[in-house]
Amino acid sequence: MEKMRELYHTEGTLQKDFVGQISYTVCLPETFCELDIAFTFDKQHFSAEDLTNQRKTEVRDICRSKYGLELNDEQLYRLMTGEMKTEIHTLATLNDTFIGCVHRQLTSRHMHFTAREATEGCLPVERIEGVLRITILVFNVLLDNTHYHLCVTAR
Amino acid sequence: MYKRLELHNHTTESDASITCRELVEHMVSDKADAFAITDHNTISGHRKIQKLLAEDAYPIQCIYGMEYTTYYGHILCLNLEEYVPWETINPHRPELLFEAIRSKNALAGIAHPYSYGHPFARGCGFDMTVTDYSCVDFIEIFNNPEPLHEVNERGLLLWESLVLDGHVLAVTCGMDLHGKWDMKGQYATFIQGEKDGNIAEELKHAIRTGKTCISKGPVLTAKVDKSRSLLTFALTETHKPGYSHNPGCPYLVSVRSATQTITQPLEEPFSLSSFGRDTILIPKLFESDTSLEHLICVGSAIYL
Repeated sequence: MEKMRELYHTEGTLQKDFVGQISYTVCLPETFCELDIAFTFDKQHFSAEDLTNQRKTEVRDICRSKYGLELNDEQLYRLMTGEMKTEIHTLATLNDTFIGCVHRQLTSRHMHFTAREATEGCLPVERIEGVLRITILVFNVLLDNTHYHLCVTAR
Repeated sequence: MYKRLELHNHTTESDASITCRELVEHMVSDKADAFAITDHNTISGHRKIQKLLAEDAYPIQCIYGMEYTTYYGHILCLNLEEYVPWETINPHRPELLFEAIRSKNALAGIAHPYSYGHPFARGCGFDMTVTDYSCVDFIEIFNNPEPLHEVNERGLLLWESLVLDGHVLAVTCGMDLHGKWDMKGQYATFIQGEKDGNIAEELKHAIRTGKTCISKGPVLTAKVDKSRSLLTFALTETHKPGYSHNPGCPYLVSVRSATQTITQPLEEPFSLSSFGRDTILIPKLFESDTSLEHLICVGSAIYL
């Protein structure tokens, strides 16, 4: 079987607290029968070194002002290491038609399409041709210099 | 007949641990009349469930939807037949997205408005400014897994204040199911419908007319007798699994209007004159006392 061919490949960095989306538009050079969009990012959670006093104060202040919550040290630790996360999802359209979104807490994911099957969250695509748009949906970034990597392959 | 609906459910098409088939089977085993599939930002489960229901003749109907999961709040969408993009959402004008969803004949409501957002989970709380509630179809006042007072009570109070201000807004609740969670003792949404009625149409009618209610079991129905100036209530048993009434704990009905709240035993009629000039009433059913922990049913608003 023909090998998957790389059509587009990019990477970038995100800054702490960025919220929004970044879209990449790829004009597919021909009609394909299989498409794969691979996306990865790093720094999903705080490491022990990231729990600085300044950062803890920042989170504690948000919880107090927004929700009236007074967190003790244990609750704050649990929130910062267990619940807080960098959250990025991926969405794809083909010729302005929705073909899928992977909304799962994964640092590495594929959106894979053929005429008969697709990754969960995605729809099978009969004719993979035209203009592909991939949107990275950035809900939360915990740390500066969070790296991501996107690769589109097809055959 | 009253139909029990479970209106907020996820599958492995987004971030839940149950597949579409497992969701269907879980709902059938808990005897729901219909359920919604509301995965985060995807409609990929729709075709799978349509195929399952067509091939295996499960005794249940599905409401096809999605949970628009945005940076500023979650919008539950029901009777959705096609994906409506949300990425240009403006938190100061969320009406634009609600209107775009409704233009496709779908129903759009605010999910768990007071859930904690950032830094717990950005977008889970509703941080958008709605200035025109006429484009909102419903509010999910009870998101069952959420804290009763910190989150759900505030949702209930928001809905009540909007309804008493004259907005026709339906009330819903949901499990926000992400696994094979036990639904016993939890609230479900109820609407009236026919045995083999089209659930999408019945839901649309109920929501657009504000005729939904939420309950852990029995449904509270009101009867207005203007000639005698009386308001009476009755219960319809729904046989929701897990609910049983303790005869030692009497039912109480609490009716809130814009200016007052009157509570009486279920069997006692209310005098309409007690509510003065108030024309919108919200009835609630309690067991034993009127603490939120003993709330059984929130009925649909009564318009005099």
